[in-house]
Amino acid sequence: MKKIRIRGRVEFPGVVEAQALVSPMPLQGFTNVNQYRGYTTERNHPLFKVCYEGKVLVFPSQRGSGGFLRYGQGKKPAAFIHTVASPLNVLCALQAHVPAMTEFELDPMDYIETGDMVLVNADEGYIEITKKD
Amino acid sequence: MITVHLNDDEKRMLDGEQGRVRQVCMEYLVEMCRIAGAERLVDLDGTGDMHTPGLKMSDFYEITLDDLRELVSEGGRFRIPTFANKSPFPEQPPIHGWESCNICSYRKAGVRQDDPAFHDRAMHRQEYELLRKMGMMTTHSCANYLTMTYWPTVGQHCSWFESSQIPYCNAVLGARTNFDGSFATCFLGKAPYYGMHITENRYGTILIKTDRLIHTDLEWDVFGYAAGCEAKCSVPVLTGTAKPTTTQYQKLNSAIHTGGAVEMYHIPGSTPEAPTLEFALGGRKPEREALIGERELKAAYDYLNYHTTNEVDMVYLGCPHLNMVDLMKLVGKIEGKRVKIPMWVMTAPWLYHAAGDMGYVKILEGAGVTLMSGACLAAMGAVPEGVRCIAVDTAKQANYVTGCYPDEDAKLQVCYGTTDECIDAALTGRWRGEWR
Repeated sequence: MKKIRIRGRVEFPGVVEAQALVSPMPLQGFTNVNQYRGYTTERNHPLFKVCYEGKVLVFPSQRGSGGFLRYGQGKKPAAFIHTVASPLNVLCALQAHVPAMTEFELDPMDYIETGDMVLVNADEGYIEITKKD
Repeated sequence: MITVHLNDDEKRMLDGEQGRVRQVCMEYLVEMCRIAGAERLVDLDGTGDMHTPGLKMSDFYEITLDDLRELVSEGGRFRIPTFANKSPFPEQPPIHGWESCNICSYRKAGVRQDDPAFHDRAMHRQEYELLRKMGMMTTHSCANYLTMTYWPTVGQHCSWFESSQIPYCNAVLGARTNFDGSFATCFLGKAPYYGMHITENRYGTILIKTDRLIHTDLEWDVFGYAAGCEAKCSVPVLTGTAKPTTTQYQKLNSAIHTGGAVEMYHIPGSTPEAPTLEFALGGRKPEREALIGERELKAAYDYLNYHTTNEVDMVYLGCPHLNMVDLMKLVGKIEGKRVKIPMWVMTAPWLYHAAGDMGYVKILEGAGVTLMSGACLAAMGAVPEGVRCIAVDTAKQANYVTGCYPDEDAKLQVCYGTTDECIDAALTGRWRGEWR
C-alpha cells in the first residue's frame, strides 16, 4: 500500500486516522455551514450537504465570516488539514479541539483525494496518506 | 508546537494569582498563540471590538455572570476602549425596530423577534449593565467605525472582530488587527503577536489590476468580491480603480472578506500604507498578477445573483449597516412614495437616534419602510413567512442569506444589484436590475 508522508505546522495537537473529505474550493462558515448537521450549505459549493463529521477535512483555504468557527462546533470533522493559514482557522481550532495542521512542505491538496485514509499525527507534525485502492 | 514566551505579569495571570477571570483569559490567549504560531503577546494600544455578550469564548473557555459581577465589584475594566459589535448573540435582536421584525429567531420556529418577552430576554440586560461598567461602549454595529467616534490611529495595535471590519482597521485606518476581538483580548489589552501586527506581513504580495474604472458603489462591491476570491488569504494591491468613498470602502471591505479572507489590502494613493505602488509592495515584486476585467466582474455579478424569478418579495438594505449619507440619499429617493413589498433597512443604533432627529425615521415609516438597527438579516437566520425571493445591494448579504435556506422546498432566491434597483424593486415588486 502506497503511503505518502508530509510534514507541516501543527495548529492543534492530537493523533487521528480517518477518511479524507477534500474540498476543491475554499470553505466558508457563518450561514454557509450547518454545524448541527455537519455540512456546508453554501450554494453551488462542491461539498453542498456532504457531511464531514468524523472525516479528515482537507481544503485549500478559508474565506468569509468569523462564523467559520462553526466548522469546529457540533458535528465536527476528525481533523482539519488546510494549505494556507489565517485567523479564521485559529478561531475554528479554538472551538474544535481536534488535530489541525497547515503550512505543509508539499501542498496536501495535490496528494489527498476524497476517500483516502489520512493519519494526522499532530503530536509529531506530519500527515500520512494511504491512497484508496 | 511553538513555545509561547510570557513576561512575569502574564505568567502570574496564567497561574491564577490575579483571579479566575484573568487566568481563563490568559489560558485562552496562550492557546490562541500556539494555534496561530505566535511566540508572544503584544500589548494593545488601540481599540477593541467584539461580539457580545461574549462571556463564552469557546466551549473550553468561559466566564460566568457571577465571575463578571465579582470582577466589576473589584473595579475590573477593559484595558482598551472596547466596542460591542452587532446586537446581542445568539438571538441577534434588532436594537430598534424589533416590533416590526416578524420573523423567528434563528432556526427556532416558535420564538419570534417581535415578541416583547423574547426581545427583553435577548437583550441580555444583566450582562450589558456589567460590561458597560467595565467601559464597554454598546455601539452594537457591524460597522462600528461609523459611530465609535474614537478610531485607532496609524500603527496602533487593536483587536477587532467582524470580517468587514478587519480590512477596515488594517487597510483604511492603518491600525493593526488580526481577526481576534474577544473578551480576553479587550479585557487584558493583549493579543497574539503575529499576522497583521507585524510590519513585514502587511506589504502587498499580489497585484490585482482592473481594466474597468471601478467607481460606482456596485462596481466596488462586485470588484471587492472578485478580488477576494482571487486574493484568498493574501495581501493584494488593487490598481486601476477610482478613489473609493466611505460607502465604497464599506462595500469593498465586506465583499473582499466574503470572496476571500483578505485582512489587508492596498490602494496606492488612497490607503495610508500605500503612498506608491512600490511602497505598498515593500520594494519587492508581487508573487503574481491578476486581472479582474469586464469578464471577471460580470462572472462575479452573475454568481451573486441567484434567482429564476423577477418577482421580488422583500428588499433588505444595510449590509454593512448604512451610514448617515446613505440614509439621507435613501430618504430623498423614497419620500412621498409607498413600497409595495416589505423593505427593511438596517443601520447602527447610534445612527438610528440621529436619523430620528433628522426626521428620517418618520419619512421612512410614511413610505412603509422599516428602519431597524444593530442586527443582520443573515445572522438572524430567517426571513418573513412567504418570502421566496429577496433583493439586496451587497455581495456579503447576497452570499450568506441563501445559506439559511438550503433546502429545495424553501430555497431562498436573491436578486443582487444597485441600491436604486433595490428601491425600484421595493416600489414595484419587480426586479429590473442588470449589469451595465
